[in-house]
Amino acid sequence: MAFIKLVIFGFIALTVIYWSIAIYSRSVRRERLENEFDAENPGSTDRAARDAYIAQGMRDYNSSIRPRLIGLVYVVPMLAIAIITYLINMN
Amino acid sequence: MARVKLVLRLLVLAFFALFLHYVLPQHDIVKVTSTEVIRTDFSSFNRIFFAQSDSGAVSPDTRDLRLINTQKQSTYLLGFIKRDTSRVMVYRNEDTGWIWPPYFKFNSADLQAVAANLARGDEWVVVTHYGWRNRWLSTYPNAVKMRTIAGPDVTIIPWFNIGFFIFLLIAMLFVRAMWRQFWERAVDPVLDSAGHRMDEAQAGIAERRSRLSRWFGRK
Repeated sequence: MAFIKLVIFGFIALTVIYWSIAIYSRSVRRERLENEFDAENPGSTDRAARDAYIAQGMRDYNSSIRPRLIGLVYVVPMLAIAIITYLINMN
Repeated sequence: MARVKLVLRLLVLAFFALFLHYVLPQHDIVKVTSTEVIRTDFSSFNRIFFAQSDSGAVSPDTRDLRLINTQKQSTYLLGFIKRDTSRVMVYRNEDTGWIWPPYFKFNSADLQAVAANLARGDEWVVVTHYGWRNRWLSTYPNAVKMRTIAGPDVTIIPWFNIGFFIFLLIAMLFVRAMWRQFWERAVDPVLDSAGHRMDEAQAGIAERRSRLSRWFGRK
């Protein structure tokens, strides 16, 4: 049935978008942490300290609200579909 | 080569623009004159310009098609020059259901009743529709919504399309940013290290060759 098809393919498409955005967001955060460390410790060659700083920053990121907000990728299209369906079909 | 590339790019752009022109909603100002149902056999050419049977039913090759006949006020020529003429326009009235394009329209029977009601009077109506009327392929735009208005001189602001193009722009910029980030963080380092290794290998070959030539030279 068409509805089941929409649900399955919609879920697959949204999952691809979700992971793309999640990976992108993580990558941007990691880059920012690297730049922050390099700016605070110019000319530092202490790789262990740099890795620890970035690992701590990524842990903070993972426990913050930002990665959970990416879940809106699933919620917003469903809301949009519900609203469009209502607006189109009400008399 | 650059010219071929340009032409290909323009073709892709034109195809995309046509696609959006087909799928996005447009508004016509019409007077409904009558409604009818015709039996239709689709050909392989015009099949993609139709939706399917009512969303609760199966879709056979031949079926009835609801049509709405109207007298349509001509739009502004090129968007600027006002015309006081009108011409006929025929809309189809089909469920898009859960399938493409995503209008989620299930109420084509209700809409046909509205159109039949409007055909009795002499009211001006705004028809929201998507699709193209093509006489040669026998295709009709699909009417999605009808609403009565006071007169033919209303200003219609396409809110949905404005929102859609803003969203499209943001989405494109976002994808571009993602692509750049991916390239910068994931692909370039790999390419750099590969290039570095290649340099090392080539240096090794040069070294060995020079040793060989030195050996031959010594001989």
